[in-house]
Amino acid sequence: MQHLTALLPRVTLKQALIVGGATTPLLAGGAGVLAILLYLMAAGGTATPAPEQPIAFDHSVHAGDAAIPCEFCHRGVGSQAAATVPSVEQCMFCHSVVKTDSPQIQLLQAHWDTNTPVNWARVHRVPDHVRFVHAPHIQAGVACETCHGDVASMEEVKQVRSLAMGDCQGCHRENSASLDCATCHK
Amino acid sequence: MSSSANEAASRASAVSSMGQTIPTDAEVGHPEGVRWGMVVDLDRCTGCQACVVACQAENNIALNEEQRVLERRAKTWIRIERYWEGEFPNAKARFIPVLCQHCGNAPCETVCPVWATYHNNEGLNVQVYNRCIGTRFCANGCPYSVRYFNFWNPEWPEPMNNQLNPDVTVRTKGIIEKCTFCIQRINRVQVTAKTEGREIRSGEVQPACAQSCPTSALVFCDLNDPESAPAQLAEAEAGRSYTLLEHFGTDPGIIYLKKVDPHAELEEDSHAPVETHA
Repeated sequence: MQHLTALLPRVTLKQALIVGGATTPLLAGGAGVLAILLYLMAAGGTATPAPEQPIAFDHSVHAGDAAIPCEFCHRGVGSQAAATVPSVEQCMFCHSVVKTDSPQIQLLQAHWDTNTPVNWARVHRVPDHVRFVHAPHIQAGVACETCHGDVASMEEVKQVRSLAMGDCQGCHRENSASLDCATCHK
Repeated sequence: MSSSANEAASRASAVSSMGQTIPTDAEVGHPEGVRWGMVVDLDRCTGCQACVVACQAENNIALNEEQRVLERRAKTWIRIERYWEGEFPNAKARFIPVLCQHCGNAPCETVCPVWATYHNNEGLNVQVYNRCIGTRFCANGCPYSVRYFNFWNPEWPEPMNNQLNPDVTVRTKGIIEKCTFCIQRINRVQVTAKTEGREIRSGEVQPACAQSCPTSALVFCDLNDPESAPAQLAEAEAGRSYTLLEHFGTDPGIIYLKKVDPHAELEEDSHAPVETHA
């Protein structure tokens, strides 16, 4: 028996404490990661949380209640690659008179007064090796909701589709659009 | 029924069982019959390297430091090959710009195990960077040595990183890159033409090298468009047109026009004894 125990690693109490102390947070961290993964799986894998915006812009008020068309603010969408985010000036077309007493509008007003742009957090981004151009999609009659979800009912905009390669390809197949790699990859 | 037909049939049924059908290229509506190519008039080339610089800037090609050149790992999607003809003081420099030939029968495409390089139906030899795993079979197979491997991650010192072209991927370590005929420019013109509801005009697409050439030695064109000026030029100058390493049967998309030298015969006579002596 003594010969057998000699083969086992000799661990002092101090060593056991150090090893135990080091592995416990790792195990706890692993459990945490597992919990996050389970949450993502339960949420369909595309639960992208809405990023925090510098001004609490509410799409459900603008696109929903006021029924302003998307292209009114995102003016590049029909003619170029980026849909573009409106300038402060464009917001001020209306908000120099509309709801000027709201604290959020006063944040906007501060940008207007100091001549600085609003640093909006980007919600949708495709990887760097992908070239996405909005114009041909709009021309082909693809509705904004197809990819962006029902923004008109969102208080905070978040990504609802995975926008991974298979997602794009599925739609391209259904609509007989180009399936050449070079159409999207640059 | 042959095995390939069997395979195709089973693939088709598998696809239809998924509720999807893969449309043919004709159904997809690609511009048919386009073959992008180039006519290079060597009589006009002065070897100024403007095309090399333009390409470097347009396509985010990493800087070629001295060490990289000494290691023979410098990257230039288009290079000017220089050949000396004759002995000093009657020496003459001859220049040939060499870039990806976008072969119709490309040796690089068949060897790629992951289809990172393929031929699209506009005659382009396309390299899909995010699919490439860096086996370098294609670079070994290319008779023109125009495929370049990234041995390092590219680095641009401040503020040069600010001049990167957003339309072109920055290639990372471990993948092959090569001339794309400035596919980002072709795509841009195609999208613009589509948005404006018209056909692409002849000569509307210009890669960076052709655009920067001061003597118009490089001219980009659709080789299948009989009305394009370069295609007509290649036709008219058929006597001096050739393709690089024609005997390999790669069917290159670049047509070279031989240099016209009025003193050729004279020079040959004067050099004859020197050559036999050497």
